[in-house]
Amino acid sequence: MKLFSKVLIANRGEIAVRIIKACQEMRIKTVAVYSDVDSKAPHVQIADETVNLGDPTPSESYLNISKIIDAAESVGAEAIHPGYGFLAENPDFAQACEDSGIKFIGAKPEVIALMGDKIKAKKTMEKADVPVIPGYHGLRQDISTLVKEGKKIGFPLLVKATAGGGGKGMKIVHSEEYLEEAIESAKREAKSAFGNDSIFLEKYLDRPRHIEFQILADEHGNIVHLFERECSIQRRHQKIIEETPSPVMTPELRDRMGRAAVAAAKAVGYTNAGTIEFMVDGDLNFYFMEMNTRLQVEHPITEATTGIDIAKWQLRIAAGMELTLKQHELTQRGHAIECRIYAEDPSNGFLPSIGVLEKIEVPTGPNIRNDTGVETGMEITSYYDPLLSKLIVYGENRDDAIDKMIWALSRYVVLGVTTNIPFLRKVLEHKAFRKGDITTHFIENHFKNWTLSKDGLPVDALIALAVYDSMHPGREEVVRYKEADPHSPWRHAGRWRIGV
Amino acid sequence: MFINYEHNSHVYNIEVERKKNQYFVTYNNNIYTVEAHEIKPGYLKIRLGDRIIKCVISENGDNRFVFIDGDVFRVKRIQLTGMKKSSRKEGDLTSPISGRVVRVKTKKGDIVKKGDVLMVIESMKMEYLIRAPYDGRIKRINFRENDQIDMGEITVEIEKKRKKQ
Repeated sequence: MKLFSKVLIANRGEIAVRIIKACQEMRIKTVAVYSDVDSKAPHVQIADETVNLGDPTPSESYLNISKIIDAAESVGAEAIHPGYGFLAENPDFAQACEDSGIKFIGAKPEVIALMGDKIKAKKTMEKADVPVIPGYHGLRQDISTLVKEGKKIGFPLLVKATAGGGGKGMKIVHSEEYLEEAIESAKREAKSAFGNDSIFLEKYLDRPRHIEFQILADEHGNIVHLFERECSIQRRHQKIIEETPSPVMTPELRDRMGRAAVAAAKAVGYTNAGTIEFMVDGDLNFYFMEMNTRLQVEHPITEATTGIDIAKWQLRIAAGMELTLKQHELTQRGHAIECRIYAEDPSNGFLPSIGVLEKIEVPTGPNIRNDTGVETGMEITSYYDPLLSKLIVYGENRDDAIDKMIWALSRYVVLGVTTNIPFLRKVLEHKAFRKGDITTHFIENHFKNWTLSKDGLPVDALIALAVYDSMHPGREEVVRYKEADPHSPWRHAGRWRIGV
Repeated sequence: MFINYEHNSHVYNIEVERKKNQYFVTYNNNIYTVEAHEIKPGYLKIRLGDRIIKCVISENGDNRFVFIDGDVFRVKRIQLTGMKKSSRKEGDLTSPISGRVVRVKTKKGDIVKKGDVLMVIESMKMEYLIRAPYDGRIKRINFRENDQIDMGEITVEIEKKRKKQ
């Protein structure tokens, strides 16, 4: 079976770099696309060919289907790898590739569409005997129907506005006697907040964890799973730390969840790499949440513990090769953790931080992997996701991996924008994390209103700054204070100015 | 040289003097004597007693990022500029800001050393320290704790210690 000779990567940042490198190892020529602000980005520098997409607005560049198809045609690329985000789960894009005779490296358009519809996806999974979170999403909204359905689901029960958000119109009901009252109150809240009093009911999961299974499926009907990833540590519903194996996993549970994941993939005729996301409650019941029909951000931890290169397998599968991996031969070894390095400020609601990267130094050492798409001098703009890089470590066991990650984070230098690195380290240093006592509420429960250094600037930092600035006296100061008495502090007197 | 840094709306006043690789950093009435080398641009290795401080600093105009022990601090160097030629006598210490006197650390007749904090003025959650510019004796203190003070008003008058004949 012949691999592609040229692949276009319809993405940017670390994932574009990751995929280009996989192609290069396989002697596949690569084509990078880029918007005007990314002309010097690493993914553009390392690719064999590049195509400019112009305007940095995503809809005019990395999200623009016709521009990307045109680019692929103009350079004669046989296949397109979409990475994650942008067009990776857009069925129209997958279809457009197919229509242009370009191989889309991912799932089939109809499967992407099916899994993109959360309600249809759930129904498909229910039919395939994959457990889903029990719930009522029906159109009959009279109180008696809702009470009846609520009792059927059981308690604790989540009552939530269909149009919901921000906790409005959301109630947790712990027993039957409060059900009717809660439904009525949720409806009133939903009506006033969203102008729509329609609600749905779902089993409320106590101590929920997010655990997902990686699968690989070829185009000849072979499917394997590559075990789980524990992704419970999230902020604003986005993962920031992932690890494998999950600290709660047992061989028996892994086997059951793995089989459910493979069954889920089979049920939709899935092909290429994909991920089945499950919610797991405090009693280790698991429920299908959704399927991601693409390469995941956190795929490197699976690569570290299985030794399998998922990106390369995506390319082989798309080229029509058969999986040579057999489920019973696959094993996990050791423990891997990934931290997502974001340009964002954890002391300020995790808001993105923009600016020029003045200095970057990544930690290196045995079993430390840096997947990065940025370098010193690059500007972080507000056009795209603030993910700078991913730091992945591998250890013999979980404790070893945590220690290595703490070491690596404390030596990861990023200056010029605010990053979440110190915050990530604090999470890893937390006792509950060390014990594996984590849920999707971990950040909310342990790090609400977290700020770096409550005590202000440490003396060491002040000394360092003073030494630095006296080594590099600013031209301005030299002139300004030339005539002044060098021992006089009131030469500072006058207009008090705090910079903008 | 005197340097002011702002971090999280606090102002830190530092004095630093250099003799070759030796630096004398005065902060909060403490003098830190350190030996420092810049290993490569922005990478400092500072010996303070038996400790080594390793840090990385980047500079963009007045903005500084300091990486130290895995933490990063975003700091701004602030210039207290615009001093007018004044007819005031040497030894009249004026307030650089309008604010409130939160602490008076000395009294009339006290013998003070260069760098001693004489008064603390607070404004917009920031503290500004009035320090003795040289060894001397306090001649007069014009404000008490909790007094309001305007920019440019004389806080403390100090008489310079005469050099021994």
